[in-house]
Amino acid sequence: MRNRGYLTAIAGLMSLGLMAGGALAEPKTNMLHQWDSGSDAAAIAKLGEMFTAAGGKWEQTSIAGHTANTLAKLRADVIAGNAPPAVQLKGPEIAEWNATGMTADLDAQAKEEGWEKVVVPELLPVMKPTGKWVAAPMNIHRINWLWGATKGMTKAGITELPKTWAEFNADCDKAVAAKVICLAHFSQDWTDATTFEVVVYGQNIDLFRKAFVEGDTAAMRSPDMVKAFEQYRLMVSKYMDPAIAGRDYDTTTAMLSKGDAAFMIMGDWEIGILTAAGMKQGADYVCQQAPTDWGKPGFILNSDSVVFFKQKDPDFIAGQKLLAHLILSPEFQTVFNQAKGSIPARLDVDLSKGFNPCQQLSKKDLQASIAGGTLVRSMAHNMTVLQKYRGAMMEVITTFVNTPNMSPKDAANAMADAVEAQKS
Amino acid sequence: MVDATLSAPFDAAAARAARKYFIGRVGIYAFLSLFAFIYILPLFVVVANSFRPLPEIIQNGLIGFPHSLTFGAWSQVWNSYCVGGTCEGIRHNFFNSLEMTIPATIISTLLGLMNGYILSKWRFYGSEVIFTCMMFGVFMPGQVSLMPWAFVLGQLGLANSITGLVLIHCVQGLSFTTLFCRNYYVNIPDDLIKAARIDGAGFWRIFYKIILPLSPPILIVTVIWQFTGIWNEYLFGVVFTAGRGQPITASLVGMATGGTNVRVYDVMSAGVLIGAIPPLLIYLFGGRYFVRGLTQGAIK
Amino acid sequence: MTEATILAEHGSGPSLRERLQHAMPFIVLAPSLLASFIYVFVFTIWTFYISLSDSSLLPTYHFVGFEHYVSIWANKRWTIAYSNLLLYSVLYVSLAILIGLGLAIAIDQRVRGEAIWRTIFLYPLAVSFAVTGTVWAWLYSPNAGIEFFVRSLGWTDFTFRLTTDRNLAIYAVIATGIWQSSGFAMALFLAGLRSVDPDLLKAAQIDGAGPFRTYRKVIIPTIAPIFIAVAVVLLQFAIRTFDLVAALTNNGGPGIATTFPATYVYDLMFQRGQIAEGATAAILMLGALAFVLVPYSLWLVWRRRRESAHG
Repeated sequence: MRNRGYLTAIAGLMSLGLMAGGALAEPKTNMLHQWDSGSDAAAIAKLGEMFTAAGGKWEQTSIAGHTANTLAKLRADVIAGNAPPAVQLKGPEIAEWNATGMTADLDAQAKEEGWEKVVVPELLPVMKPTGKWVAAPMNIHRINWLWGATKGMTKAGITELPKTWAEFNADCDKAVAAKVICLAHFSQDWTDATTFEVVVYGQNIDLFRKAFVEGDTAAMRSPDMVKAFEQYRLMVSKYMDPAIAGRDYDTTTAMLSKGDAAFMIMGDWEIGILTAAGMKQGADYVCQQAPTDWGKPGFILNSDSVVFFKQKDPDFIAGQKLLAHLILSPEFQTVFNQAKGSIPARLDVDLSKGFNPCQQLSKKDLQASIAGGTLVRSMAHNMTVLQKYRGAMMEVITTFVNTPNMSPKDAANAMADAVEAQKS
Repeated sequence: MVDATLSAPFDAAAARAARKYFIGRVGIYAFLSLFAFIYILPLFVVVANSFRPLPEIIQNGLIGFPHSLTFGAWSQVWNSYCVGGTCEGIRHNFFNSLEMTIPATIISTLLGLMNGYILSKWRFYGSEVIFTCMMFGVFMPGQVSLMPWAFVLGQLGLANSITGLVLIHCVQGLSFTTLFCRNYYVNIPDDLIKAARIDGAGFWRIFYKIILPLSPPILIVTVIWQFTGIWNEYLFGVVFTAGRGQPITASLVGMATGGTNVRVYDVMSAGVLIGAIPPLLIYLFGGRYFVRGLTQGAIK
Repeated sequence: MTEATILAEHGSGPSLRERLQHAMPFIVLAPSLLASFIYVFVFTIWTFYISLSDSSLLPTYHFVGFEHYVSIWANKRWTIAYSNLLLYSVLYVSLAILIGLGLAIAIDQRVRGEAIWRTIFLYPLAVSFAVTGTVWAWLYSPNAGIEFFVRSLGWTDFTFRLTTDRNLAIYAVIATGIWQSSGFAMALFLAGLRSVDPDLLKAAQIDGAGPFRTYRKVIIPTIAPIFIAVAVVLLQFAIRTFDLVAALTNNGGPGIATTFPATYVYDLMFQRGQIAEGATAAILMLGALAFVLVPYSLWLVWRRRRESAHG
């Protein structure tokens, strides 16, 4: 293993040498992203350090607040006639911007560096919307995690994490009887959609693919979707507490650390949050794939990536090549993902050192789900359908959570209606 | 005897009136105090939390007196908190805001004075129409002009700069300042101007000698209105600048909505106060004149 | 009219200097005029045109007609945004006026420390909507704010959860908006009360009118124009509500319960890449503004005409 890392490093240096020889340009870049503060900012700072260390001139434009602000900034820059050399974009937005013809083609570099062989196959259609590489993946987040807080679980008399939704419900009934909140949650559109997509996926993977990946409205109206909403209603009304709306992320985490709640469903960035709250893996919290009723390893994937807009300045072009190279390098994939809780987008990076056991499990399940054909991309985290369909679905899901008398059947129909309204 | 019989009902009436007056007074002060409490509560919470250690806030909630004082949050938010992709606090953003707000306020106020002067004292055919059209600028929602501005700033080479924001705020502010000043100058008697013209005074001379000396009340109104409006604006700041180049309101919103990070109430509170101090000071010192000037001009 | 005669009297032999003098107002006015013209008309027409196109990710100029103006009314979020705005405008404007008037009348009773009271009620106006929203969101939060505080005092059943209940959240937005703006109303009313002719008050006193009757019959009618001015300023704040909701209810939560038109426009134009639909909503917002402002402008003109006719 060690030998191999050494070899990759050499290969990296060599290709760097090649680039430096190929162009006299002095690589520089300005990356537009939304990792504005705290640990996110620290993670992206690592990329900047590596870029500078490789002889580049690093600049960044970080945008505060909602994703809409980053996209607004991108549009403003494009309209102003100075498209950013590098920008954090994901999912279907990559294809949309690619269709404008303004994104740079990374195909030659991808071939040269052999990205295709090492990057997770499920990411390829996203990174290559028309068959050509236009985006460099930074990481893989797993969405379908179930986090168990040992304090809360002990209080409720739960000894191990549930594997199916039936087990989950049984455990939650125990928790409710012991006056422990079963599922810690805070209601925002993305968290409500995250939990719901985990339920749909766990119940019926075909339904997930049809409704959330393909955007098929007949699947949204189907009895299976109604069933998923029924399970969700049970969870919202009985297993979560009434104060989910208006709570923030920190308070939710505190419910786990104080032992007020037993479980939480959330993506792998939760590792960083739990660590910041002073909880230790194994002793204070445990992790496992969120319940599924089909008894195989499964994986809902989310990935951050960087897209490059065509530039005239040779310095920026050289900078784009260097940045893409660095992002795909095993070194960056290691430091970045250790900081973020996600795992490398490359399958050939060793996770045995410096990674959390949950991350190692994530990698194992990822490979098993590739082999088993159960890997899907996340709708809630904008990896599948166009933003307008996703937004319409998320509105219905979050309305369902916040409207106790909305029936599962109405919700399923409302979701299909909302998506159809966007299609017309 | 006679005195007593006469004064008895009088005393009773006076006592009743005094009691009524007293109850009325108590009622007035109670009413004012109730509202004052609601108005001050948020300010109190922010000031107190900026001096409380974070663990204490999280444990005891946001409302509470500090058990122990710390100035850590203030120095952190000013010097070292990570926001906008750097870990240098919000001091750059604070100075950006000054750099943006002061020129934009001065320029838009001066233009407003001139426009108001012309549209009220040098009226010409169609000037009323022009005035009405300019007034529509007061009410343009920012979202409508976002993309056109992006294009214009790009063409002028002012994208991603404080100068670009100054331009936006000048043009946007023009409608307000013109409206205020024109409505104020309309009340200056035309005879004054006429007399000056007969004495041979020209456009500028009349402005300096007659209009300007009468202007302080409206000057204060427009300066306060423009300063607080520009300082507090956040949409354009977020979209047309970034990171260290942002005005402070934009970076504060970034801190408040920052994705998946732990919420730092103490640092946020100190940041909010730093961001609110300049407009608060302006209101504190100019508030009295603001109210006076507003009623003399703007609302007529 | 008078100015025209002045100009006419003056212009006998137009030298260059005089001509320059004559043109000076236009020269000075021109840059502002040009800027305002572009800002108000060109930008609006551009947005209007985009709303008629099939623009999605970036503006394009392929004309499709008024279809977005039809389809927007089938969108549930837009109808929620729209009815929120109606409810908000009515309650925010009327309650801010009511509270502002109440405070102004109370302060007008020769209270001690008038400057202090006035400053307390006016300071929220200096604070941005974004900061107002953030801080009130803390106070409304059941886990750390008012509910938490009252419970810690021992009243453990106390509930205060405006922002977390989708039926009540809009009232949290309204209350917070009133907190920010009622000082403005107070300030204007107070100044209005002070400007009432003392002779009128004396006359009312001689007629034997009590304080309540004096306010109702004499003072409030004389300051009626202030009501309209305050209402118009507050209404245009209401229609532009954006920062407040972004900070207070996390962009329109819980669910989509507190969505406002401005939030909707921003979301469509920038988050979702539906620029044409967003532009449509923006134009409808402008329409709503015009609905308020055109009658107001007409009223102003009418009042000015009447005044000049009388005086």
